[in-house]
Amino acid sequence: MSTLSSREPLFWAVQRQRNRGVIGLFVVVIAFLALYAYLFPGLFTLGGFSKFTQNWFPLALVAMAQTLLMMMGGISLAIGPLVSLGAVIAATVMGTAFGVTGAIVAVLLAGLVVGGITGAIVSYLRLPAIIVTLAGSFIIGGIALIILPRPGGVIPAGFSDFLAGHTPAAFGLLVVIVILWKLYLATPLGLGIYAAGDNPIGAFRSGVAVNRVRIATYALSGLLTTLAGLFVAAQTGSGDPVIGTPFTLNSIAAAVLGGVSFLGGRGTMRGALAGSLLLSVMINVMFFLGFPPVAQYIAQGLIIVGAVAIPQFTGRWRRS
Amino acid sequence: MAGSTAFLAAKGLSKGFFGNPVLKDVSISLVPGRVHALLGENGAGKSTLINLLSGSLAPDGGEILMDGQPLSRLNPAGARNAGIAVVQQELSLAPDLSIAENIGLGAYPRRLGFVDYPELARRTAEVRDLVGLDEPLATPVGTLALGRRQMVEIAKALFRKPRVLILDEPTSSLSAHEAGILSALVLRLKQEGVAVLYISHRLNEVMALCDYVTVLKDGVCTADQPLAGVDAEGLVRLMVGRDAGDLFPKWEPNAAGDLLVDVQGFSSGMARDVSFTARRGEVVGIGGLVGQGQEDFVLGLYGALAAQAASATICGQKAPFSSVGAATRAGLAYVPADRKHEGLILPHSIASNLILPSLGRLNRAGMRDRSAERNLVSDLARRLTIKGDTARPVQALSGGNQQKVALAKWLPLAPSVLLLNDPTRGVDIDTKREIYLMLRSFAAEGKTVVLISSDTPELVHLCDRVTVFREGRAVATIARGHITEEAIVGAAMGVEVREQAA
Amino acid sequence: MPAPASSSASGSVMRNLLRNGPFLTLLLVAIVWIGASFFSRGFGTYGHLRYILELASIIGIVAAGQTLVVIGGGIDLSVGAVITVTAITLPMLSPAWDPTGIFGIVAVLALASLIGLINGIGAAFLKVPPIIMTLAMATLLQGFLVIVAGGSAVSVENAAVIWLGSARPGGIPADILLWVAVMVGVLLLLHRTATGARFFAIGANSIAARLSGVNVERTTLLLFTLSGFFAGLAGLLVLGMNRQGYVGIGDPYLLTSIAAVVLGGTSILGGAGTYAGTIPGSVLLVTITALITVVNASPGWRNIMFGGLILILLLLSGREKQR
Repeated sequence: MSTLSSREPLFWAVQRQRNRGVIGLFVVVIAFLALYAYLFPGLFTLGGFSKFTQNWFPLALVAMAQTLLMMMGGISLAIGPLVSLGAVIAATVMGTAFGVTGAIVAVLLAGLVVGGITGAIVSYLRLPAIIVTLAGSFIIGGIALIILPRPGGVIPAGFSDFLAGHTPAAFGLLVVIVILWKLYLATPLGLGIYAAGDNPIGAFRSGVAVNRVRIATYALSGLLTTLAGLFVAAQTGSGDPVIGTPFTLNSIAAAVLGGVSFLGGRGTMRGALAGSLLLSVMINVMFFLGFPPVAQYIAQGLIIVGAVAIPQFTGRWRRS
Repeated sequence: MAGSTAFLAAKGLSKGFFGNPVLKDVSISLVPGRVHALLGENGAGKSTLINLLSGSLAPDGGEILMDGQPLSRLNPAGARNAGIAVVQQELSLAPDLSIAENIGLGAYPRRLGFVDYPELARRTAEVRDLVGLDEPLATPVGTLALGRRQMVEIAKALFRKPRVLILDEPTSSLSAHEAGILSALVLRLKQEGVAVLYISHRLNEVMALCDYVTVLKDGVCTADQPLAGVDAEGLVRLMVGRDAGDLFPKWEPNAAGDLLVDVQGFSSGMARDVSFTARRGEVVGIGGLVGQGQEDFVLGLYGALAAQAASATICGQKAPFSSVGAATRAGLAYVPADRKHEGLILPHSIASNLILPSLGRLNRAGMRDRSAERNLVSDLARRLTIKGDTARPVQALSGGNQQKVALAKWLPLAPSVLLLNDPTRGVDIDTKREIYLMLRSFAAEGKTVVLISSDTPELVHLCDRVTVFREGRAVATIARGHITEEAIVGAAMGVEVREQAA
Repeated sequence: MPAPASSSASGSVMRNLLRNGPFLTLLLVAIVWIGASFFSRGFGTYGHLRYILELASIIGIVAAGQTLVVIGGGIDLSVGAVITVTAITLPMLSPAWDPTGIFGIVAVLALASLIGLINGIGAAFLKVPPIIMTLAMATLLQGFLVIVAGGSAVSVENAAVIWLGSARPGGIPADILLWVAVMVGVLLLLHRTATGARFFAIGANSIAARLSGVNVERTTLLLFTLSGFFAGLAGLLVLGMNRQGYVGIGDPYLLTSIAAVVLGGTSILGGAGTYAGTIPGSVLLVTITALITVVNASPGWRNIMFGGLILILLLLSGREKQR
C-alpha cells in the first residue's frame, strides 16, 4: 500500500512511461466506445452499463491471463478448458454443503493449482509452453467433463443476480482486480515478469528467481481464468463443461490487439484490458449495426491478422 | 586494508565443451585495490574464465576460493552474495523496465513485501551519478542507445557494492567520453579497495589502467605478472604466441581481372549511398568500427536486405538482387558473422549443413541422389580437414570447425564472389591460418573476396584494398601500399592520420 | 534426417531406441493392442482392426499436413475448420452434370489448398506467427460457414466420395488405401527430395536457411498449401464415412492431429521429426478412443489420457530439444 499512497515520483513516472505505445490503442477504444454510446444511449443507464461490463468482464479476465503468459514469452492454449473447469467446479460445489463461499475458494484454488503445475512443468522440465498447454487443454477439458458430463449443476439465484444481474458488481470486481495487479507488479516477483520475459538469462544472472517468477505467473494466470469460469457460470446459471472453448482464441485475440508481443516482454496489462474492451465493444457495435452474429468471427479473424501483420510488415526482415 | 591476500582466487581451473578443452589449468587471484587485466585473443577462454568465476558455469577441475575458503558449488546467486559483480558483454538488462528497476533488479529494497520505490530512487540515483547517466530514472532501458545501456549495466553492478568487479570488454560500445568516465570510475574503485578484473582488447586502455596482467592463449595461462615494465608489443606476443607475419600468408598480387562487383550509390539498411568495386583476383576489405553499416551493405549485395542503387552490376548481372536465391545463382556466397544463428543449422548434422546450398542440384529423377550427396560430403570434409563422423550435429564441433563447415558448404557451387563477415571471430589460430590461405588462393584463382573484419591486422595483411565505413557511409578507400592499422582506424574514427614513411 | 546418428556401442542402441519417438509410439500401440485383445474379445478381430485403421486414416491424413508444417517450424490450427469447409461445401460444388463426382472433389481440394495458401501468405509475407494466422483463419472460416450453411446439416450424394467411404477394392477399404498412398508420398517428399530437406532447414533455423539460398517464403507457402490440401482430403473421408456434413464436424481433428504429430516424436519446435512416427501416433490415438468406448469410460477420461500421453512422450523423447 505504502508504495501507492506515498506519491513517489519514480513509481508514477514509471507508470506513465508504460503508456508509451498503447496511447494509439486507447484512442481507438475511446472512438469505438463513443460510437457505441451513440448507437446505444442506454449504455449510460445502470442496467445498460451493468450488462455491457458483464459481457466484457470474462473477456477482460482471460485477456489478462493470456497477457501474463505472453509477457514472459509463454502462451496458453488451455484458457478455454480452464474457464470450463472453473464453471463446472462452481456449479457442482455450490449445491453442496460448502455453499457459495466454498465454491469460490474451490474455483480459485483450482486455478492456482492448475496454473502452478503448468508453470512448474514449463520451467523445470523445460518443455515448450505451447505443447504443454495443448496437452493441458485435453487434460483440463477431460477433468471438466468428468466432473460434469453435461450442462447442469446449481448456481443459487442470489449469486447470479449479484454478479450478473442489474448491478455493476462485475465492473467493481474488475477494478479491484486491476488494483491488486498493480500491487503485485510493485513486488519483486511482479517486476520479475518483465525481466524474465525480456531477458531470462540476464534476469537469472541478476539474481531474479526466474523459475519462481514463471510458476507464480502461471498460477496467477490460472486464477484469473477460473475466476472467469466462475463468472460465466453465474451468468448462465449453470455449469457447462465446454462453455469456455471460445475463450482460448478470444484471449489471444485480445492480448494481440493489446500489443503483447509473442516474443515476450513489451506488453502491458493496460494494453490487454484495452484490447479486450475493443473486442467487446466491436462485437456490440456490429450487433447494433445489424450484422449477423457470426460476422464477429470474420471481423475478429481479420483484426487479429491485421494487428500482428501491420507492425511486423513495416519492420525489417530480421530481428532488430 | 586486507593487504595482498586475494578476495577471490582460482586454482587450476579446467573446463571443456563437447569434449574440446577451453581452459586448461588456469589460476588467477584478484587482490583488493588492484586492477587486474585479463588479455587474450577471441576464443582464448576469457569468457569461460569469467563465467566460472561468476558461478554461471561449473568447472570440470580446480577450485575457486573466496577469502581463502574454497567455494564448493558456486552459482550466480552465491557469487553475487559473496560480492562478485560481473559486467558481461551480453547485457543482463530488461528493455521494458526503467533504468532504476533495472539497476536494482534482483536486489530491490523492500518495504512490506513491495519494492520500496523511494529507497530505490535514492540508491539508484547515487550509482547513476557515478557512471554519468543523466536520463531520468524512469526511462525504459529499451529506449537508450547501446553505450548508455552499457553504463546502466555498470551501474547495476555497482548498486550491489561489490568487493570484486569483473568488467568484460566494457568499452567496446562506449563513446570516448563514456570510456573516460569509466576509467575514472575504475581508478576510484581501486582507491576504495575493490578488486577489479578488466578484460579489454584495447591495449592502451589496459596499459593506462591496470596494475597486473594475466594472459590467456588457447585456454592456457601464458603470463601472470605485474604490468609494470611490460611493453605492449610483448603482451601481443604473449597473446598470439607467433609473429603476426607468420599467421598471415605472404601477400602477393594477383593479375587484376574484370570488375565483378560494381555498385554506385548503393543503399541498404544502415548503409547509405555506397560506391564500391571489386575485381577478379582481389580481396577487398571492409573495415570500420562495429555496426557502421558494413553488414547491411553486404546483405544488400547478397539480396538478403532490400536495396536501392543508382547503378549496380554484380557478376555481369543487374543488381540489386531481389532474393538470396538470385544472388547465389549469379555466383555470390555469403558467410555470416554469427555462424551459430545465421551461418549454420546447429542441431542438424554436418552433412545436412554441407549439402544445404547444393540441394536440388544433386537430384536424380526428382529425388535426392544419396550417393552423390555422400561423395560430396566426404570430399568437402577431406578438403577442409573436418574429421570424424559427418552425421554428428554440427553443434558438437569446435568454433573453428564450425566455421569451416559454414565456408565449405559453398564450395560445390563454385561462387565467383565470396562475401565473408568476420570469418575468424572465435576461431582458433590454426583454423584462422587455413581460412587466410583459402582467401588468398581463392583470389588467386581469379575470384573475388569481400571481407568484413573487426580485426584490423586481417585487413592489413590480406587485402588489396580496404573500404572503411562510418555511420553507414563508405568514408575512405585505402589502396594496397597505404593500408596500415593507423590508416584504417583513423578513417573509422574520422581522424586524419598522417602516413609515416615506411 | 537430423536424427542423431545410429552410432557406436550396442548398449546405447537400446537407449537410442527408447529416445526414438516413432519406435516408442509403435511399442505403445502394440502393448495396447495385445493388452486389449485379452480383455475384450472383439478387439483382436480383423473387422475391428480394419475399422480402427479406417478411423486412423482420417487422423493420419490430417496429421500428414500437420507434420509437414510442424517440421517447418509452424503449426496449423485451421485444419479442423478446413475439414468442416470441405464437408459443407462439397454438395454445393458437386454439379449435377458430373455423375462421377470427380469435379466436386477437385473443386473442394482446390478450395482447401487455397485456404492453406492464404495461411502461408500470412505466415510468409505478412510475418504473422503461424499459430495466430491459422487461428484467425479458423475463426474466419467459422463465420463464413455459418453464413453458408446456416447451421443445418448437409447430406452427400457425390458418388466418388461415397465410394471412398464405403468401397473395399481387394477387401481393403478405399480410405486405408488412400492413406497408404499419402504415406508413401509424404515420406518420399520429406526424406528423399530437396524440398523435404528445405522443410527441415527452415524449421530448425529459417535465417540460416535463407542465407544458404533457401527460398523461405516459397517453402512456407508450399507447407501450408499442403496442410490445407491434406485437411481437405481428410474432410472428404469424413464425409464419405458419415454421409453428412455439419458445422463443427472437423473440430475434433484439430487437437488430435497435433497430438498424433507429437506422439510420433516430431519436435513441436520444428526442424526434426518424421511422418513415420505420426502414422503409429494416429493409430494409437484411435486405439485409445476405441478402448475407452469398449470399457465404457467417459470421453473425459479419453481426453485426459490423450493429454497425459502427449506429456509423457514429450518427457521421454523431447527433453534434449528444449529451446
